[in-house]
Amino acid sequence: MELTAALLLGLFFAGYFLLGGADIGLGMLLPYLGRDRAERDLVAAGFWPMFLANEVWLVAAAGVFIGCFPHLEGELFSGLLLVLVPVIAGWMIRDAGIWWRRQVPSAGDALIFVGSWLLALGWGWAVASLLSEHHDAPAPFAVGAPTAAAVALLFMTHGMGYAALRLTGRPFQRARMMAGHRAGGNSFALTSVVMAAMPVLAGAGLPLTEHAAGEESLRLLVPVLIAVLPLLIAAQAWLWRTFGGRAEPTDRAYF
Amino acid sequence: MRGAPRRGTWRGEPWADRGGVQADTLDLARWQFALTAGGHFLFVSLTIGLATILAVLQTRATLRGARPVHLRMVRFWGQLYVINYAIGIVTGLVMEFQFGMAWAGLGEFGGDVFGASLALETVLAFFVESTFLALWLLGWDRFNKWVHLGVLWVVTLTAYLSAYWILVTNGFLNHPAGHATTSDGTLELADPGALMTNPSTLLAFGHVVAGALLTAALFMAGVSAYHLFRRAGPDEDGFHRRSLRLGVYTALPALFVTVSFGGVQQGRLGEWQPMKLAVLENDTAEIARLQAELAERFGPGDYVPPEALTRGAGMLMMTVFALIMFPLLVSVVLAAFRRAVHGFRAWHVLLMALVPLPYVAMIAGWVFREAGRQPWVIYGLLRTEDAVSDVPTAQMWVSFGVFVPLFALLVVVNWWLLLRWARRGPQAQAPGAEDRIALAGPERREPSWS
Repeated sequence: MELTAALLLGLFFAGYFLLGGADIGLGMLLPYLGRDRAERDLVAAGFWPMFLANEVWLVAAAGVFIGCFPHLEGELFSGLLLVLVPVIAGWMIRDAGIWWRRQVPSAGDALIFVGSWLLALGWGWAVASLLSEHHDAPAPFAVGAPTAAAVALLFMTHGMGYAALRLTGRPFQRARMMAGHRAGGNSFALTSVVMAAMPVLAGAGLPLTEHAAGEESLRLLVPVLIAVLPLLIAAQAWLWRTFGGRAEPTDRAYF
Repeated sequence: MRGAPRRGTWRGEPWADRGGVQADTLDLARWQFALTAGGHFLFVSLTIGLATILAVLQTRATLRGARPVHLRMVRFWGQLYVINYAIGIVTGLVMEFQFGMAWAGLGEFGGDVFGASLALETVLAFFVESTFLALWLLGWDRFNKWVHLGVLWVVTLTAYLSAYWILVTNGFLNHPAGHATTSDGTLELADPGALMTNPSTLLAFGHVVAGALLTAALFMAGVSAYHLFRRAGPDEDGFHRRSLRLGVYTALPALFVTVSFGGVQQGRLGEWQPMKLAVLENDTAEIARLQAELAERFGPGDYVPPEALTRGAGMLMMTVFALIMFPLLVSVVLAAFRRAVHGFRAWHVLLMALVPLPYVAMIAGWVFREAGRQPWVIYGLLRTEDAVSDVPTAQMWVSFGVFVPLFALLVVVNWWLLLRWARRGPQAQAPGAEDRIALAGPERREPSWS
């Protein structure tokens, strides 16, 4: 039961890094892929409407964490507070930018760019901390900074592949040049595997099974989670099947 | 964390011996959570209520015999719903992470019980809600109209489910049920059924959900009244008249349901949290008696919640109820007359003035519920001061200094956007869907739907 709970936790985090990571990478590249407002409209169209369903994997991951491993969640989140603050602030800023850019385009683009970088660097620092000796303390600068930079690069590469798959026009051409001429498919498949594996590997060293919630809680949670998982994936697959193609400029936003 | 302390200890200290966290850390963590949760609550109350009205509106628009105005209503109110929804998501995430970041002691002591409902909320409710909202937003011309309607109903029902699971958590904190104490003094889940049917949860659910509907209904009536007041254009297809009536006719029953659940809750308060009731009634003798009784039961300490705040919030909530009720009774009568709906400008102003009142009542009621149970975070089991994370004050300042201004900015800008769109009215709406419909060609959907 504890092991299944740990695997579920890993799955939700992997889902977030894979799907949410693509949006983060896209946001990091916004000014590079889109050189003027019209081009940036094309890039921002790539967020819609999937980012809503992508970022929610993190909400679910944190929920599974607190439900199945409440003791560990508290120790880890409070210990890593200084790393998580930029991550969450980055999420808020990035989302605000995505929602508002149709009303205030320049400010919206700046928010998306800054927020995405904060998210990527923050997650990188979190990964460094999890891999170092004391999981529940931020990694020192000498370890944290280079890891954060490397992870940010990975996010960016992932976003580049995503852009080559979803964008149109000039931004698409730029992304395809960077991601390779095979229309991004291959590099995206590769970065997807790496992105999904990253949180799992980073969390593999955590004493999850020793710190799981009590028996009754897991007996309630684990079967429910397993039962609904196919439905969740089916809903997401439906969304991707419907909207996962090239993002047309008119898809850019609801408002 | 390898070689970390065993369960039931806090960083190596047994529960009872855990040294006091610095007072500043506690205050900062409390303010931060209060502002985050309060801000979140302001948005979700409108979201849940508006989602309900929207689902009904789109059902009407989908049925045989619907007029174009019905679909326009879905579009306009849907736009405002989405603007509001955006901030609900962002603020919700901050709250979720704060449980671990600022209130690790709560998870350590009682996470076994209330963590389960939080997990179920995220996976069963919010995950589905967010995915289906994405489908609904850009699905106007992609799906058959019945499928598209079904998608919106999923969004609405999962919003209710989400509120339910959050209130399972909150009900447990206010009136613990379904738990057992382990040998090391922490809590574990013993009876999931008792946790999920906690009367404190169910009563609060009825109260809050009806309050949310009231918030949305008065918002709708107020915005419509604004447009009728301005007389910017002829209300040819009755857009504003219909919206105003729908708002007013929804608000009155919602108000009575809200108040009924509130009344029943207050009736149970004497049994569940007698101190809160005594403070509300300003019964000093009873307060002193309960203080002595609790001190005997739990050891020395101050068991009286902040009196002025708790009582003030409780009184404010009830005053606002009266302030809403009388104008609303009059409004229900006036709304029956088309001439009044179109031309009674003083009444339009009154309806506009009602818009903020449900928000005041929602926040006041929440302050009453949460401040009034102090000093407990889990009533009778865990004190708030023992739940806060053992992080240095400086770190809590960083968190506070980042989130609170960011939050304030989000709230202000979002309200500005919301009011801007509301003021523009349905004529100026240009949702992405309309561009797409023009592009997609007529064969992809039923003509009546575009």
